[in-house]
Amino acid sequence: MTLENLLAIHRLQAFEATSSGVLRLLASAERNLADARLTELSNDNRFDTAYKTIMQCAMIGLWANGFRTATSQPGHHQTALQTLPKTLGMAADTVIILDALRKQRNLNDYEGDSVADAAVRECLAQADAILAHTRQWLQSHRPDLLNENH
Amino acid sequence: MLLDLLFGTYRQRALAQLLLHPESSYHVRELARLTGTTAGTLHKELAKLAEVGLLKREKQGNQVRYQANRECPVFAELAGLFRKTSGLVDVLAEALRSLQPVPELALVFGSLARGDENARSDVDLLLIADCSFGDAIKALHPAQAILQREINPVLYTAAEFARRIEAKDGLALNILAKPKLFVIGTANDLGKFAGDSSPASV
Repeated sequence: MTLENLLAIHRLQAFEATSSGVLRLLASAERNLADARLTELSNDNRFDTAYKTIMQCAMIGLWANGFRTATSQPGHHQTALQTLPKTLGMAADTVIILDALRKQRNLNDYEGDSVADAAVRECLAQADAILAHTRQWLQSHRPDLLNENH
Repeated sequence: MLLDLLFGTYRQRALAQLLLHPESSYHVRELARLTGTTAGTLHKELAKLAEVGLLKREKQGNQVRYQANRECPVFAELAGLFRKTSGLVDVLAEALRSLQPVPELALVFGSLARGDENARSDVDLLLIADCSFGDAIKALHPAQAILQREINPVLYTAAEFARRIEAKDGLALNILAKPKLFVIGTANDLGKFAGDSSPASV
């Protein structure tokens, strides 16, 4: 489904991001990834924090294309992840994994199962990759959003 | 293989779809599309299966819809037979075969293993493996379309599973105690993974 179609069914809203907004979210995504690397934390919190980085990058992707998710709608995390091929040009294969991490997070948060080491490792690796990808993508497609004075 | 011996192809595919989605009812053409069969032959099969009480047949306007009959005395056994073979376990085993290294153990737990799944139930899958979580997700992804269910893998290494058993982790103990369907490995293998870790209980 195109971003315009998602806008039409109110999954997305039109939104014009400012560079200060994008830089703030990018900095937060970086802090979260750094925190997720703290081995003193529990698996659950490391996973959650790395997942936050992924979600923040997905949001930046939408912002940079003139959209944001309608947070009042159920499933806005899923929407943000599934638009990644269209917003940041990410591979469909990667989105399958990110969506699986989203489901793991639901199980952990709402059923209390503690996260497995392998899932934490994957979440950290994916967060690291999407953050680097997002920076690169902005650099080549929306450098204006990385310019503080813009 | 076993099922090929017991049932013809059409009957096998139709029963797998109906018995493993007992909450859904299907029109013949819909069922033909889902199972890759043709409506004409399927029609006769379904009528026979309804006649002996294995399926419920319901007229809706000029459409006939079929649904598994949970009241049938052998429903649970037959559904179990399909779950353990072509309906679930074989599909998962096939998907996992592409993983490198191949998991040491794989089993289904949760509602599908108990046989009380509903339309929205996921496949809860325990993997004891050394592959990455991402590789497991990619390998299992095609199976989701075949099973028409989402698959939620819980992936532990042998060492982590043992550690969790020892620490009396809720999920790990639950998997040991509750019904399961083995996809790779046996109850014996599971015992080894669980037991090696807890010398205190030996």
